Amino acid sequence: MNCNFTEKVSSLIDGELSPSDAREVERHLLNCGECQQMRADFLNLRSQIAGFETSLQPVVQNRALKKILSTPRRAPAFGLQWSFGKAVAFASLLIAGALMGFMLYQSSNSRGPQSGREVVAVNEPTPVPSRSTGSTGSTGQQQQKPEPEPSPAPRKDNEENNPQRKSAPKRPLVREPKPGEQFAAIPAAPETPDRVTSADAETMTAMHFDKSETLLRSFRNVRLNEPGSAAEVSYERQRAQQLVYQNMMLRREAEARGDVQVASLLESLEPILLDISNLPDKPDADAVRVIRARVERKNIVPLLRVNSTALARALDD
Amino acid sequence: MASEDEEFTMLFQDFYPSLCRFLECLLGGRAPLAQDLAQESFLQLHRTAWGTLPAGEARFWLYRVARNMAINEFRKSNTRYRLFDRVVEAMRPRTRNPEQEYETQEQQTLVLEMLQTLPEDQRTALLLREQEQLSYREIGQVLNVSESKVKVDIFRARASLRERWSKRVKTAGASVS
Repeated sequence: MNCNFTEKVSSLIDGELSPSDAREVERHLLNCGECQQMRADFLNLRSQIAGFETSLQPVVQNRALKKILSTPRRAPAFGLQWSFGKAVAFASLLIAGALMGFMLYQSSNSRGPQSGREVVAVNEPTPVPSRSTGSTGSTGQQQQKPEPEPSPAPRKDNEENNPQRKSAPKRPLVREPKPGEQFAAIPAAPETPDRVTSADAETMTAMHFDKSETLLRSFRNVRLNEPGSAAEVSYERQRAQQLVYQNMMLRREAEARGDVQVASLLESLEPILLDISNLPDKPDADAVRVIRARVERKNIVPLLRVNSTALARALDD
Repeated sequence: MASEDEEFTMLFQDFYPSLCRFLECLLGGRAPLAQDLAQESFLQLHRTAWGTLPAGEARFWLYRVARNMAINEFRKSNTRYRLFDRVVEAMRPRTRNPEQEYETQEQQTLVLEMLQTLPEDQRTALLLREQEQLSYREIGQVLNVSESKVKVDIFRARASLRERWSKRVKTAGASVS
């Protein structure tokens, strides 16, 4: 097979050459004995292979056909693939959802109380440090601060030097299980953190009641010169906006720990705070009067006073 | 549904014998196994792909599936001696006279033996060309390879068989003289 046309001879007998190539190869074949022999051999092989007879019997063929036709047909292949893919996608979604839910549950369990306390500590100063230090006395006396003034104004200083905020990260909320220790042992952690957490919430609630009472008193004293004239409530509105979010947080905490009385009071307070915070800069005097009337009707200011005092006493005890 | 079955029956009648022959050559004989695999290929077509394939594709689909089954069979039982196949083959009813039958048998055995010396892809491509008269493009479609590979495979298969054939003829001539 020294001729360059040998492969083309193969394609020629298969009819796979273009007309020009086929003419060229045929011209070459006239003068090349080797390629002529090759073509003859290839054609001989073809007749041998094509002449192969199978030993198939008609009976066997008919039996096979009957068997095939009697077999029920499945869904089309593409439908099968689609439903399989859909099932896989659905299963993946379920697994991903379950994982995300588990992770959220884990993170809420491990970080929830800590982060909640952090929010409270950032937003709220400690109203009576002596109480809180009393409750947190077991964690260290270095957190004690001088007695604050009773007026609301200096509380900003207390916010900056909040001992609870500083001490909070030092307290381990969840004890790390030792190697080989059962999870059942974890709830046996010291009770101090839970008690302190509850005390923090109650302190914050007492403070919130105090602030809300001050706000509502201030709102009650807003001067309304004439019916229909605009009132100046920008300070009250701003203060209410600050307190609404805190009110929501504290209400949830109270509900979570089953303190129905505090939760109920906070629930009554919330729409009033919302109404005040939603007032325009220069609200109509009638709008202010409507809110005042609601405050009076709910008798909310004395309730706030009573509850904040009760909480403060409970914390002292 | 009835028309679909009629169409399927027509396809079966047209191509089942060809598929059996193709598989028999591919497997190096073993007619019963070839018939089983051909039947299984048609069964798969009927159960899963019939009605979803574009017109004219069913034939290529069948050859592709049948070839894959044959390859699986090679892997499964390449070294195993199929006594059952031989018994069935020996018990097969003969219709011709013994002399003619013997000659044909000899010739077919020779063809099968020579085909078995080829690599599987060359053998399949050559069988699809010589027995089924598929074009290079169609063979490439069945085997999922390019036309140029089909062309080269067929040429190499022919060249290899030709060489073996000439050697065999020379050996036969020497033994006669």
